[in-house]
Amino acid sequence: MRLRWARGRGTIETMTGPRASEWLGLDDAGNPIARVIHLDGPMHTERGVFRAVALDAEQKLIRLLPLPPNDGDWLAVIGGRVVGRAAAPLAAVRRVEAAL
Amino acid sequence: MSSTPLDKIRNIGITAHIDAGKTTTTERILYYTGVSHRIGEVHDGNTTTDYMDQERERGITITSAAVTCEWKDYRINIIDTPGHIDFNIEVNRSLRVLDGAIFIIEGVAGVQPQSETNWRLADRYNVPRVIFINKLDRTGADFYRAFDTLKEKLDIVALPLQLPIGIEDKFIGVVDLVEMKAIVWEGGELGAKFHDEPIPADMLEKAKEHRQTLLDTALAVDDAGMEEYFEKGDVSVETLKRAIKTGTITGAFRPVLCGTAFKNKGVQPLLDAVLDYLPSPIDVPGIKVAVEEGEEEGDHQRRIKADPSAPFAGLAFKIINDKYGTLTFVRVYAGTLKSGDTVMNTTKGEKERIGRMFQMHADKRAEIKEVIAGDIAAFVGLKDTGTGDTLAAAEDPVVLERMAFPVPVIDISVEPKTKDSVEKMTLALQKLAGEDPSLRLKTDQETGQTILSGMGELHLEIIIDRLKREYGVEANIGAPQVAYRETIARSHTETYTHKKQSGGSGQYAEVKIIFEPLERNQGVVFENKVVGGSVPKEYIPAVEKGIRVQADTGVLAGFQTVDFKYTLVDGKYHDVDSSALAFEIAAKACFREGMKKANPIILEPIMDVEITTPQDHVGDVVGDLNRRRGMIQNQESAGSTVTVRALVPLKEMFGYISHLRSMTKGRASFTMQFHHYEPVPRNIADEIMAKSA
Ligand SMILES: Nc1nc2c(ncn2[C@@H]2O[C@H](COP(=O)(O)OP(=O)(O)OP(=O)(O)O)[C@@H](O)[C@H]2O)c(=O)[nH]1
Ligand SMILES: [Mg+2]
Repeated sequence: MRLRWARGRGTIETMTGPRASEWLGLDDAGNPIARVIHLDGPMHTERGVFRAVALDAEQKLIRLLPLPPNDGDWLAVIGGRVVGRAAAPLAAVRRVEAAL
Repeated sequence: MSSTPLDKIRNIGITAHIDAGKTTTTERILYYTGVSHRIGEVHDGNTTTDYMDQERERGITITSAAVTCEWKDYRINIIDTPGHIDFNIEVNRSLRVLDGAIFIIEGVAGVQPQSETNWRLADRYNVPRVIFINKLDRTGADFYRAFDTLKEKLDIVALPLQLPIGIEDKFIGVVDLVEMKAIVWEGGELGAKFHDEPIPADMLEKAKEHRQTLLDTALAVDDAGMEEYFEKGDVSVETLKRAIKTGTITGAFRPVLCGTAFKNKGVQPLLDAVLDYLPSPIDVPGIKVAVEEGEEEGDHQRRIKADPSAPFAGLAFKIINDKYGTLTFVRVYAGTLKSGDTVMNTTKGEKERIGRMFQMHADKRAEIKEVIAGDIAAFVGLKDTGTGDTLAAAEDPVVLERMAFPVPVIDISVEPKTKDSVEKMTLALQKLAGEDPSLRLKTDQETGQTILSGMGELHLEIIIDRLKREYGVEANIGAPQVAYRETIARSHTETYTHKKQSGGSGQYAEVKIIFEPLERNQGVVFENKVVGGSVPKEYIPAVEKGIRVQADTGVLAGFQTVDFKYTLVDGKYHDVDSSALAFEIAAKACFREGMKKANPIILEPIMDVEITTPQDHVGDVVGDLNRRRGMIQNQESAGSTVTVRALVPLKEMFGYISHLRSMTKGRASFTMQFHHYEPVPRNIADEIMAKSA
C-alpha cells in the first residue's frame, strides 16, 4: 500500500548541515501510521553497546538494538513494530509499504 | 581566460595504479576540449603530458604535468600523475592542492595495490572523487567484477551512474542511469561523435534496478529531493545531480563511470561528471591553517576560504628548474596576486617578490598578470621557497598545513666521471633535490662521497639520467644500498664538557642531555628543560643544530638516526669562553657518547610486496619469499592467477624482478612499496657494521 510521506521531527547532523532523521507515513486521512527512523548510537550500557531507536513520537519507548549485524541504519516501523531495516531511508520506506 | 567565475573552475587530478590509463585519458580530454588537434599515444611517445624524454621512451609518467582546458565554458585545471610508486610524491602533492580527483580503475584487474595507496592518500586530504572503470574493450574486462573490488578493497559505498553496453570488442557505449538513456559512440572521428538512444530492451530491467539503488543512495543526502520523490514518484535530473554532488563532496558515496579511453568511448560523460559532481574551489570547506606546536589537530582549526578579496594565501607544491630558471607552482587559496607584489614565505619567515606569472599548458605557457583565489599558477624568480611552503600576505601571515613526504629507502653513491665536474654535479643534484622532496642528498662524512637517497631503483635511475641529459654531467654510481636508519632502545643521560684553551680566548660549554627512544615514525623531538639560565637562551639553537647535524651520522654505522627525543636539562657556560660554536661542538660530542650507551640499533625498511603469478608457480614464489625473510600476509586466487601479498625486507628485494621472471618463465609480475621500518636481526646488523667500519 502506498502512503504519503512527510518529514518527521528530529535531525541528524551531517557535513552539509542537519538532515531529517525521521519520515512519517500518513494514511489518506493524514494520520501517521508508519515511520522510518535513523538509528542513533552507539549507546554504551552495562550489558554492552547498542543502537537506540525511539518507537513512539514522544520518545518514551526506546528500543535498544544490538550493534552487529548491521544491515542498515534506517528502521522501518509500523505502529511500534519493526518490519525491516535498510541502508537508505527510501529503501526503508519501500519495506514499510511492502509490509502493509 | 582568467575571467572564469570561481564556480566554473575545477582543479582536479587523475590518479591510479601504474598503466591504468591516466595519460591516455588525459590525452582524450585535451583532444575533445580542443587543446590539442590530434590524439597522442603513450606507446608512440607523443602525448602532451608525458613530455620528458624519459617518459616518452619508457611509456610511463614520471612528473605530474598541470594542464588547463575548457569544457562547456568551465575551466578545468588537470594534473596527470604517475602511477609508479617511486614517483608517489607527485600524487601526494597533487592531491594536496586539488579540489577533486578522477580515480581510474582497470576493467580487467580492478583495484590494484597502487590504487589502494593513492585512495588512502586522497582520504587523508579529503579529496572528493569520481571513479572511472577503464579498458572495458580489453579481453577479460568485466565491469561488475571490477566494481566489486571497489567495495572489497577500498571499503566504500560505490555508486554506478552508468552500466556498460556490451563488453570487450563488443563494448559500444553506456547506459546513463541519471537520465535513463543509452549513449553510443560512432566509429571514426576519434570518438568525438556519439548519440543518445533508448536503453536496449535486454538491459532495461537491470537499469531500473540500478537506478533505484542510485535514487535510494543519492536522495539519502538530500531531504528536498526525498520530498520531491514522494510527491512525484521520481525526481528531476537536476535534483538527482544536486544530490549526487552533495554525496560526492561529503564522501557519503563514490560515483562510478566507465569506458575505454584508448578506444575513445566514455570520456565526454566523464568530463560532464567533473563539472556536475566534483567541487569548485568555493564548494570545498577551505584549506586548514597549521596547528601551533603542541596543539591538537581537529575541527577547531581555522580554514581559509576561496575569497578573491581576502588577504593572499597560497601553497607552493611543485618546483621545476628549466632553461628559463626556477618555476614554482602555487595553488592560490585566497586573495588576488599581481606580478610585482611582495608576499611573505611564512614557513621560512622571509619576504618573496613575485616576478612573472604563468598559466601552464603541459610544456607550453601563457603569461598572466594576476592570479586569484581558487586558481593554480607558476611563478618565476622566487628566491627561497621550497615545496610545501606557504606564501601569504604580510597582513595575515598564516601558515597552511604542510604536506607529508614519503620516506626515501634506497641509497646510491654518485661520482662524476671527470674530477673537475664535482662542483657542477653537486649543484645539479641540489637543484634536482629542490624539485623533488622524496630525493635526499648527503655527504658521507668518512669517505666524502655524495649519497643520493630515493624511493626506488627506477627513481634513482631517472635522476642519474636527467643529470646527464639536462646538466651534462656523466656520473658513475655505486650499487643501490638499503637506506638503513639508526635509533636507540633505551634512555640514557649524558653530560659532556667541551673545553679548549689555546692562547687567546678559549672554548667552553657543558651540556647535560637525556636521550630517549620514541615509537616508529615519530622523528626527532627536542625539549628544552633548562632552568635558571645554566645554558643561556641564545645558545639553545646551537645545541639543537649540533644534534641535528650529528644525527645524520649514526653512532653504529653512520646512518641517519631517527625516532628519539633529546631533552636538554642542564649545562654550564663561561662568560668569556662560551660561544654558539662551543655549544654546537659539545652537543655533537654529547650525542656521540650518549647514543652509544642508549642501546643503539639499526632499522631496515620492510616492503609491502604484491606478486601476481600463474597458479602453477605459487609454490616456487612463496618458497622463495620465505628464503628472503618474507612474511606471507595473504594469498588470493582469481581464475588461474594467484596474488600473493608479503612483507619483505628491502635488502632481500634487490634484483628480484629478474629472479621472478626466470622462476616463472616471465609470467609473474610484482609491485612493492614501503611499509615500515623494523630492527634488523643480529647477524645482519653485524654484517652492516662490518661493512661500514
Ligand atoms: N585496451 C586498452 N588499452 C588502454 C586503455 N587505456 C590505456 N591503455 C593502454 O595502457 C597503457 C598504459 O596507459 P597510460 O595512459 O600510459 O597509463 P598511465 O596510467 O598514464 O600509466 P603511468 O603514468 O605510467 O602510471 C598504454 O599502452 C595505453 O595505450 C584502454 O581503455 N583500453
Ligand atoms: Mg601516465
